[in-house]
Amino acid sequence: MHQITKIAGYVAIILVVLSFNFFLPRVMPGDPFSFLTGDPSMDMPIVLDEEMRAELLAYYGLDKPLLQQFSDYMLNLLHGNLGWSIYFNAPVSNILIGRLKWTLLLVGTATAIYMVLGIVLGTISAWKRGGKRDVGLLTFILSISSLPSFFLGMLFIILFGIKLELFPIFGAQTPFMRYSTPFGATADIFRHLLLPAATLVIAHIGGVYLLMRNSMLNVVGEDYILTARAKGLAEWYILRKHAMKNALLPITTMIALRVGFMISGTIFVETVFAYPGVGILLYDAVTYRDYPLLQGAFLIITLAIIAANFVADIIYVRLDPRVKHE
Amino acid sequence: MSTMEGLNRFWTAYKEKRLGLIGLGILLFFVTLAIFAPYIAPYDPHEMYKPVEHPNSDHLLGTNDIGQDILSELIYGSRVSLFIAFFVSVVSAIIGTSLGLLSGYFERIGFFLMRIVDAFLAIPRLPLIIVIAAFMPPSIWNLIFIFVLLGWPITTRIIRSEVLSLKNRPYVDAARMLGARDFYILGRHILPNVVPLIIVQLIMEAGYVVLAESGLSFLGLGDPTAKSWGMILHYSFEYPTIFISDLWMWWMLPAGLCITFTILSLTFIGYALEELVNPRLKVVEL
Repeated sequence: MHQITKIAGYVAIILVVLSFNFFLPRVMPGDPFSFLTGDPSMDMPIVLDEEMRAELLAYYGLDKPLLQQFSDYMLNLLHGNLGWSIYFNAPVSNILIGRLKWTLLLVGTATAIYMVLGIVLGTISAWKRGGKRDVGLLTFILSISSLPSFFLGMLFIILFGIKLELFPIFGAQTPFMRYSTPFGATADIFRHLLLPAATLVIAHIGGVYLLMRNSMLNVVGEDYILTARAKGLAEWYILRKHAMKNALLPITTMIALRVGFMISGTIFVETVFAYPGVGILLYDAVTYRDYPLLQGAFLIITLAIIAANFVADIIYVRLDPRVKHE
Repeated sequence: MSTMEGLNRFWTAYKEKRLGLIGLGILLFFVTLAIFAPYIAPYDPHEMYKPVEHPNSDHLLGTNDIGQDILSELIYGSRVSLFIAFFVSVVSAIIGTSLGLLSGYFERIGFFLMRIVDAFLAIPRLPLIIVIAAFMPPSIWNLIFIFVLLGWPITTRIIRSEVLSLKNRPYVDAARMLGARDFYILGRHILPNVVPLIIVQLIMEAGYVVLAESGLSFLGLGDPTAKSWGMILHYSFEYPTIFISDLWMWWMLPAGLCITFTILSLTFIGYALEELVNPRLKVVEL
């Protein structure tokens, strides 16, 4: 029963997102084409006379009743049709599919690194809490987490890209490069990946570190740790077998939830490094007022995040059976 | 315990937190800049002089691509960022707290409100803000509207769960037996106990808004007439030779540092407050 309400909740949320995506451009002042026409309040003086406007409205089905438009929109979505990008002059779905692999590579790499780092540092911090190492780590990580990712990315470009010339500063691959070996191609992709991934790691490590530290602090106060100590077990053994195992429980859910956050976090990082993923599409779409692309990218990002939350929910119930009965 | 008394005790405990005091100091510095901007800034930030000047005795941080004094832009920029953060976090807190109190105390209202809150919280905030901002004409008040619209649900959720546990405490039952009305109980016995939580949430929200507002401006979705730090970053990032010349040092770097230190101050304050509210996190001598 509990599972069914949960799944119903997710279905409802997806419907909310889809409806939002459908209604947003339609409830805004004017129709979607006032953005393309010579609306005096916009700075784009593209002239579209009444006749062309009516033709365009008919072409996009905007002269039909709202309910019919909505069912057409849903049917199109089911067929994977997300509309036509004005700027790229290509189907939005094709563009998104081409970009997805780069975002997944970036998010995957960064997640693996900051999860491990955050868990290790959080454990170190909590184990000797209040000690010099804990205070130092806490202050340091809270400080670097305050750097906005777009600013940090620009600093990395200047320092490692321009001054030291260690890494390329834009893109995911060197354009028009021919590699003699497949290893050369991998190395090139890796060199392009390093700075954006490092930026994401720094932007997101604070959350995992604090959560692991809190989680450990809670566990360290438990009776079974005291018992283990009283039995005279080695510190390192208690840490690994008793404390970390329990403290990691909330972290596992966090991984899935964070992957969702990360996907929206890549918007800035991809923009700064001109990394050709899904996130930069939002920036491009905003810059060129490409509304079909904007909505398509928003839909993909949102669905990815909702999917990540769903996975987090499932994992949590599997790992901690107590949740089921609450 | 009255609300005033609670705040007093809170401050006595807060004074012991080193990170919290550092954060408060940095925040006060920026608040002073914002309030006295017209007296501190050497120029009107909209006035145009010779473009792209390097730092000199007239313009300590040089001028931007259209000749505006960068130092004056930075000083006035504190107004935009802090005003938006302050306004949004306070309004979100007021709306969020009222709805949280109501939905925690009256369960039927709570059930419906929580479904709305669930829907809001399930949709990722940043992409949603970007999409709505892209469809609205860019202005400070529109940004504020979007941030408040998406800001209150978190506070509502947090306050509600606290109220749920508070309303069955013996002293609340006692007050009810004595014939106290619902709204009297809410205001007199429950609200004072959630004030610390509200403050923590308000500070966290302010930090988020500073980050999100500068991020939106950086993407070009900010108010182009407002002098915000994010807009300065946006224009400097779009300038063709920003990275290969030394321009970044006085044009991009100071604006980025202003954003970073504002967020840092709020992060430190927020962490110190959280330790007070949740004593299990307490760190000795911090």
